[in-house]
This record gives sequence, C-alpha cells and structure tokens, in this order.
Amino acid sequence: MEGRTVLLVDDEPMLVDVLERYLRDDGFTVVRAADGPGAVEAFERSRPDLVILDINLPGFPGTDVLRKIRAIRDVPIIMLTGRADEVDRVVGLELGADDYVAKPFSPREVVARVKSVLRRAERPQAAAAHHERRVGAIVIDTVAHEVHVDGKPVTLTPTQFKILDVLAQHVGQTLTRDQLLERVSADGDVYDRTLDRHIANLRARVEPDPSNPRHIVTVFGVGYKMVAPT
Amino acid sequence: MRELIHDIRNQLAVAVATVEAFRDGMLEPTPERLDDVLSALAAVETLLAKLPRDSDGTAPPM
Repeated sequence: MEGRTVLLVDDEPMLVDVLERYLRDDGFTVVRAADGPGAVEAFERSRPDLVILDINLPGFPGTDVLRKIRAIRDVPIIMLTGRADEVDRVVGLELGADDYVAKPFSPREVVARVKSVLRRAERPQAAAAHHERRVGAIVIDTVAHEVHVDGKPVTLTPTQFKILDVLAQHVGQTLTRDQLLERVSADGDVYDRTLDRHIANLRARVEPDPSNPRHIVTVFGVGYKMVAPT
Repeated sequence: MRELIHDIRNQLAVAVATVEAFRDGMLEPTPERLDDVLSALAAVETLLAKLPRDSDGTAPPM
C-alpha cells in the first residue's frame, strides 16, 4: 500500500491526527480536510486513492460530499459514522459507500479496512458494483465463487472459474489465448497447451450443448469470446 | 436525542483513538494530549447529563 493517498475528512482534529499517524506509519500519504467544501476541494487537488469520510460535517453533510466526490471520480469511500441507524443508508444502495466504521473505533481497525477496501477495489473482477455477472443462462457470483446455469449450481475447478470470470468480464470481446493465459494464470499454472482442455471442460459444465457452444465461442486463429445467446 | 448520542460517540471516539495511539506508540502522551483526552471525557459527561431521563430516573439505552 506504499505511496497510496488517503483523503481523511473529519471535523475532529484529534481524530484526524491519530488516523493520519497510523496511516503514515503504513506508508500512506495523507491529505486532510475538516469540512464539506474543503473535502471536495482537497479531492480535486490531491486525487486520492481512497477517502475516509465522516458522515457529520460542517459546511454540508458527508453524504453530500460522497455524492459530489463520486460525480467527479469513482473512488473507494469508507464512512465514519456516530449513529448506528445511519449504517444501512450509508452502505446500502442509497449512498453506496464501500465500507463504514462506527465511532468510537480502533485506529488499527480503520487502517485494516482501508487496506481491505483498496485490495478489493484493485482486483478488477471484484471492482464491479455487483458481485454477479450474468451471461445468457450463466450466472457467476464472484464473491461466493459460485456458478449457476439455468438456476442450477455447477461445480468448477478454480482454473475453470477464473477462465469463465475473465471471459464474462469481456462479453462480446475476443480475448487472444495469450490475453486469457495472462489473466487466468497469475501463478503460471495454466499453459498454452492446457488452455483448450480447460475450455472444453468448462463448456462441458456450463454449455447446454457442449458440442455446439453458444456462450463460450471459439474465434478461429485468435482465441475465445463470451457471448450472450439471444 | 440522536444528535446527543452522535456527539457522545464522537467524543468517545477521540478518547479511545488517542489512548490507543499512546498504547501503540503512535503518539507521544504529552500533557497537552492527555488534556485533550480528559476534555473529551468531560464532554461525554456533560452530554450524558443532557440525555432525557425516563420517569424512573434511568437514562434510556444508547
């Protein structure tokens, strides 16, 4: 997490001092703001990787800051809240913060949340707002690592799951064999010669008729693409 | 009432986070910072006194 910038917004200077100290200790760069207008200004100036935002701010409320920030750029946001009854609204659909921490909190806990939210945001397959991808009859739950075809659960190996997930992230786009291998095989466990076999096994499990694949299509001489059958 | 509880949590947050920073060696417990913690706790006491009481004299649950 070295070199990431966190914008820290709270009107309580002592809290900001403490959190800044912990975040700096972990290699983060910290930018501070104490009110709504200052937060939006600092956001545009410092282009932070993540925002920690108190929900109750002078100027205008943290919820307005969240909306304004999100309108400028999509960035992970962790809300600090002093009210348990705000939590649903904060992390629910209405505001869509990535996480929240209730006051009083342990500063270590806040740092742990910052790291976990950043990790989540930086994994492209999990960055989507939804945990589910739907392509035709196939539904992929990227959090639970489950796949359903026509509503029925399907068991896949981790490699098959990765291939399916990568293809589903690029519906309609042909991925070359090299692109697929690079994205699927972070630890080098999938080789060019086994990719076709993985695809065949994957089709056997998710295609209604594996000999006539309609979701995972071969683009001859190039690679594969995923399509949503009409 | 909600605002009161919010303010209480805020002041508690200052006290808890600061003392934890002392414990973890993140901040030096200078007399000024110890005073800040005491002020936060005094504010909690003041705020608690403002909470409406039930008829039997007990404070409602937070």
